Amino acid sequence: MRKKSTIFVAAVTLVMLLAGCGAAENRQAEAGKPGQELVYATVKDINDMNPHLYPGSMPAQGMVYESLVENTADGIQPLLAESWEISPDGTVYTFHLRQGVTFHDGEAFNAEAVKQNIDAVQHNSAKHTWIRLSSKIKGTKVTGEHTFKLILSEPYYPALLELSMTRPYVFLSPKDFQNGETKDGVKGYHGTGPYRLTEHLTDQSAVFEANAKYWNGTPFISKITVKVLPTGETTFLALQKGEVNFVFTDDRGTDSIDTEAMDRLAESGAYQVVRSEPMNTKMIVANSGKADSPVQDKAVREAVWHAIDRDTIASQIFSGKETPAGTLFSSNVNYADIGLKPRAYDLQKAERLLEEAGWTRSGEETRMKEGKPLTMTLFYDAASLSQKTEAELIQNTVKGIGMKLELLGEDSSSIASRRAAGDYDLLFNQTWGLAYDPQSTVSAFTSETAYYHAIKGISRAEQLKDEIEEVMVTTDEEKRKALYADILTTVHEEAIFIPLTNGNLTVVAPGNLQGIGFKQTQFELPFERMSFK
Amino acid sequence: MTIHRKMWSDKLTAISLTVIAMVAFLGICAPWFAPHSPEQVHMELRYASPSWQYLLGNDHLGRCVLSRLIYGIRPSVLWVLAALLVSLSFGGILGILAGYFRGKTDQMIMRVCDIMLSFPGYVMSLAVVGILGPGIQNILIAFVIMKWAWFARVIRTSVMQFAEADYVRFAKAIGVGNAVIIWKHILPVALPDIAVISSSAFGTMILQISGLSFLGLGIQAPHAEWGMMLNEARGVMFSRPELMLAPGLAIVIVVSAVNFCSDALQAALDPKLQKNTRKPLRGQGLFPAKPKGEEVA
Repeated sequence: MRKKSTIFVAAVTLVMLLAGCGAAENRQAEAGKPGQELVYATVKDINDMNPHLYPGSMPAQGMVYESLVENTADGIQPLLAESWEISPDGTVYTFHLRQGVTFHDGEAFNAEAVKQNIDAVQHNSAKHTWIRLSSKIKGTKVTGEHTFKLILSEPYYPALLELSMTRPYVFLSPKDFQNGETKDGVKGYHGTGPYRLTEHLTDQSAVFEANAKYWNGTPFISKITVKVLPTGETTFLALQKGEVNFVFTDDRGTDSIDTEAMDRLAESGAYQVVRSEPMNTKMIVANSGKADSPVQDKAVREAVWHAIDRDTIASQIFSGKETPAGTLFSSNVNYADIGLKPRAYDLQKAERLLEEAGWTRSGEETRMKEGKPLTMTLFYDAASLSQKTEAELIQNTVKGIGMKLELLGEDSSSIASRRAAGDYDLLFNQTWGLAYDPQSTVSAFTSETAYYHAIKGISRAEQLKDEIEEVMVTTDEEKRKALYADILTTVHEEAIFIPLTNGNLTVVAPGNLQGIGFKQTQFELPFERMSFK
Repeated sequence: MTIHRKMWSDKLTAISLTVIAMVAFLGICAPWFAPHSPEQVHMELRYASPSWQYLLGNDHLGRCVLSRLIYGIRPSVLWVLAALLVSLSFGGILGILAGYFRGKTDQMIMRVCDIMLSFPGYVMSLAVVGILGPGIQNILIAFVIMKWAWFARVIRTSVMQFAEADYVRFAKAIGVGNAVIIWKHILPVALPDIAVISSSAFGTMILQISGLSFLGLGIQAPHAEWGMMLNEARGVMFSRPELMLAPGLAIVIVVSAVNFCSDALQAALDPKLQKNTRKPLRGQGLFPAKPKGEEVA
């Protein structure tokens, strides 16, 4: 009898405990119900929203800040500058600014604010070497309430393209500056964009509300909440429960939800899955400058290139949602249609290349050359599902040709710092997208914060550097074409950037959301154009 | 009744022992039992359902799940056992020395133990892995560093009661050397205690190594490990939940078996537990009944 009652008490307690959990979850779902709002999930916090530095989340910065001009499919279009003139020698840009624009804190947007912002960026130019314009700006000048002159040291053709980027040449209210600077932190995050940041809980959430005074009309969606959900499974559950209702490929190219789960969401009717056109090239960067590593050897890099079965990666790992890439830039990218010869998936060729370069196999599993084994480390973003699978597939294939790959999954920011420090053999990366290709990606070849180390080890490194320097300043279109062809051929020949697939942006959105589109950059989304049916 | 008989007479314990023995045997002879190579990729069989050729289906790279499970026994169970033995012998030697000689030796060893035990176990293993880098060897090293102090402390207590026993005093009086006394008179009586604590620590360690591998800190790809298999299945948790079953069940079954055995062993050795209950007292499977001392972590 006593035993029975004990069991009864235990059972009741257990039921109550479970019921308690359920109730708590329900409340949470109720509170997070978005209605006519968007709640998007992100793997990482929006971080420091200072637009003149780089830790912040780009989609979030894209909502708050705006640039002078916008890069669209039809070329450069006005944004905060209504019109502009370029002096005949190509060194002076005169911008006529849009009138009646105010920052979120009520400050007027005028030529003075533009000058202060650009000066603040220039005072921290070491951080901005990847954007070549930062080394070309000689002066900034206010010539009227709404006229601003940008003076360059020499003509630089991608100037407008680089001014259109999400950062750093975007505008923050001068009131937020600290001692007239932005490099050591700012007091507030007031931009001119369609949304303003109203609340930020680090590593939890951030709230953006529509800017009622936005110069281009108040956006339809009144509130956008960003929720930090580090893993794909929680994001998927949150989508099902309605805690979040919007997910997209983040600025590091990470899709946290697997394609099948996304398709299932779309089938339910509550969600739609929208994919952009191919925007970038996902690739493996080989660090030719890494001392004492087999990756210095061109034959090894070529062998890796030949040993990757891109068709299988595209059809199996990406379920046919991405296409195999044969070159660093696909041929629809400006200046990139130069007929480079793709290296096919050919294991025999790979083995022959290794053999010819002196990497021989005598019985052991791993090839050796001068007593050194053919072992390299491939770094991947631990948050990305596809990268690990790709890495394991490649690891398995190259094992067959006597190459040993060690895999190491790391946080995306740790991968970025490895790239900057040159502390890697191979790592996963992607080109920067239509708006940035080829000029910014190419110019990043020589930037210390990007691919400087990867390029360093090739025989034509110095020459390549000069060519890149020249291609950015030449005004002769034919010469520019020839130089780009030369640069791209060199890095292709040297097999520095081993392409995998052409990546795109994926958006999972509520079924009744319309106006989902993409910008020319993979780093932000035009939220202001979206609305509910 | 011998301990051996007592344990076999209980059905659950007998089954548990059989399971452990079988798992260990499968792990040691993995190349003969695994139907395929655990690392052979077949992309065309990605996420294929179980078939006669691949009894448990295929994973995200089309590798045979059954073969990976069998090869996974090595790091998940056998290497853990090895790490356990290393830290046990290390802790055991120090514990016996401290308990037998007392005085300054005891003081010194115990203060070092205190220092080691004042660190939270999980945090320390994470820190060690953080310093040495991910990898199964480093986790095992972390385990050895973290566990020996706990073993030393428990074994010292156990040895202390025997060190004062009359027969040990007699042995000392007739001039038998310390080493001989420890070997002949102390170790045999302390062994049951050692067996109980080590078996209960074994279950926790299996869980911990799977946990760390699940976090991606343990064994590195392409080698198979149960925690890592769980992590790989996690990405497709909602589209292919069945992939979590095999490694998940394997962990649950082995850890439960180890804990049942540990409880039975304790009951068989401890006269107090025998008086109160006819059958050996059992813990709740995954949560072992801790013999004495603090939490093993």
